[in-house]
Amino acid sequence: MRQVIGAEWAKLWSVRSTWWCLAGLTALMVLSALALGGATATDLMREGVRSARFAVSEPVVSATTFAQFALVALAMLVITSEYASGSVRSTLQATPIRGRMLAAKALVVLPVMFVAGVLSGALATAAGYVVLSLDTFGGHAALPLGEVTLDLLRVGVFFALVAVMTLGVGTAMRSAAGTLTVVFMLLMGLPLMLLMAGGPAAVEVSLRMPLFAGLAFMESTDNMTGGPIPYPAGEGLAWLLVWTAAALAAGYAVLRGRDA
Amino acid sequence: MISLKGLSKRYGDRMAVDELTLEVRPGAVTGFLGPNGAGKSTTMRMILGLDRPTAGTALIGGVPYHRIRYPLQKVGALLDARALHPGRSGHAHLVAMARSNGIARGRVAEVLETVGLGEAARKRAGALSLGMSQRLGIACALLGDPEVVMFDEPVNGLDPDGVRWVRHLMRSLADEGRTVFVSSHLMSEMQLTADHLVVLGKGRLILDAPLAEVIARSSLTAVVVRTPHAADLAVRLKAGGVAVERVGENELVATGVAIERVGDLAHEAGIRLHELRTREASLEQAYQELTASSVEYGAQKAGV
Ligand SMILES: Nc1ncnc2c1ncn2[C@@H]1O[C@H](COP(=O)(O)OP(=O)(O)OP(=O)(O)O)[C@@H](O)[C@H]1O
Ligand SMILES: [Mg+2]
Repeated sequence: MRQVIGAEWAKLWSVRSTWWCLAGLTALMVLSALALGGATATDLMREGVRSARFAVSEPVVSATTFAQFALVALAMLVITSEYASGSVRSTLQATPIRGRMLAAKALVVLPVMFVAGVLSGALATAAGYVVLSLDTFGGHAALPLGEVTLDLLRVGVFFALVAVMTLGVGTAMRSAAGTLTVVFMLLMGLPLMLLMAGGPAAVEVSLRMPLFAGLAFMESTDNMTGGPIPYPAGEGLAWLLVWTAAALAAGYAVLRGRDA
Repeated sequence: MISLKGLSKRYGDRMAVDELTLEVRPGAVTGFLGPNGAGKSTTMRMILGLDRPTAGTALIGGVPYHRIRYPLQKVGALLDARALHPGRSGHAHLVAMARSNGIARGRVAEVLETVGLGEAARKRAGALSLGMSQRLGIACALLGDPEVVMFDEPVNGLDPDGVRWVRHLMRSLADEGRTVFVSSHLMSEMQLTADHLVVLGKGRLILDAPLAEVIARSSLTAVVVRTPHAADLAVRLKAGGVAVERVGENELVATGVAIERVGDLAHEAGIRLHELRTREASLEQAYQELTASSVEYGAQKAGV
């Protein structure tokens, strides 16, 4: 198993798309965190509460909503590029036990995206702190180290789980177009539709889909629901894990059952 | 050794491979022939566990492919040379494959050397020519120094040097005692390389026999006789139950008969011979006879 993971690791870093996706992820994190943080600071200035402070990692948490699509692209390509080129046959010749191949991919994507989440989040936090400390933004930005660290670790976990979920969907769908559609519907389309549908049941379901579950886990205060997600962080993590496990199970079922 | 038992694959309502039972033995090159769509590639994919058989089993050295601990060290296969991530270099691909199967990294340079891909292996696979991809695919098959090698149309896209090189490669792999199973549409190539032939038609086994026997059995393999008394000899041969045809003033062609018998009959009749030889059918001719009835996607005859 260690050898298979090593092979997947080598494959991940030997294509340029990986680097592009990581660069895109970082850029999206920094830019959306700055934009969101700037908006928060401006609001605080308008309200004129001089003493109000917000942790700069808060806009970073909100930025994940936008930046996650770069990581979806990366995680998706890990499997869909193999089907597109046909190299999956080569991979399965080397590792004929299919569950082992999927597990190896998941075990590579998971830590890589965790680290990518923490690092890109840290960069976005640093950039946010530097920029939002400028006088123009009224000096509302704060850098409480404990809270920031916890936020960044949670961003890493969120990214890692969304990536593995995408890998599961990609294994089930095989094509990039199909994977993107399903993942987008899961992450954005369905929850927003349900949220707009507005019935209390619809909202409850929407809030338990991966994006809002992730935001609950990261204790986001500023998101598309307009406030904190109304259940505890632990429950958010649990839902996120459920979605990830379900996607992986679906991927495994297809992988096992269908011809390569 | 590859053993197939009742191996079948159904796609929709048609059988791509139908109850295939055969053994591919070590120490020989076994040519796998059949018209387009006969089921050769499907058979190979089932042997490698990529496609699940509808029925039957495929074993390699007595075990199914997925039970082999390090499959690349036991079976090397080239299915589709183009099936590589276009953005990954051949070298990186081989390194990853080697790592997954506990193969020393040094093997990568070795096999690249063997197939004659030097710096080209550092290029993105998408930028390789067909022949170069084919060589890379062969390098990948040889990576684990496997006992069994399987090539699906390996000379596709190779230049004449490359074709000759593949021929020698297969020969030497077989001479080292390995099992070599290779599909091809190039009959002249197969005639030079194969020891044994397996022919599929519409998914069914049409033939499983040594090359020499296939050639000998062809109706186009004949005994050619040159004699000043062609007419006399023709009568004598016919009387002896031999199918014979006069093809020139002094020349006869007898089919379905051993050369010794033609000589004996002439001797009994006291007829002088100026030439007595066997004219062997080419594999191409023998193959055409075998598969005439099972060509699926042959060109339509004019006027039909
Ligand atoms: N994935 C698939 N789905 C449906 N039908 C398939 C599939 N793969 C192969 N077939 C069909 O199975 C039959 C055998 O195909 P296969 O590719 O094994 O033939 P082949 O002998 O390798 O032909 P060729 O000489 O052209 O390579 C064909 O009729 C083909 O259309
Ligand atoms: Mg084929």
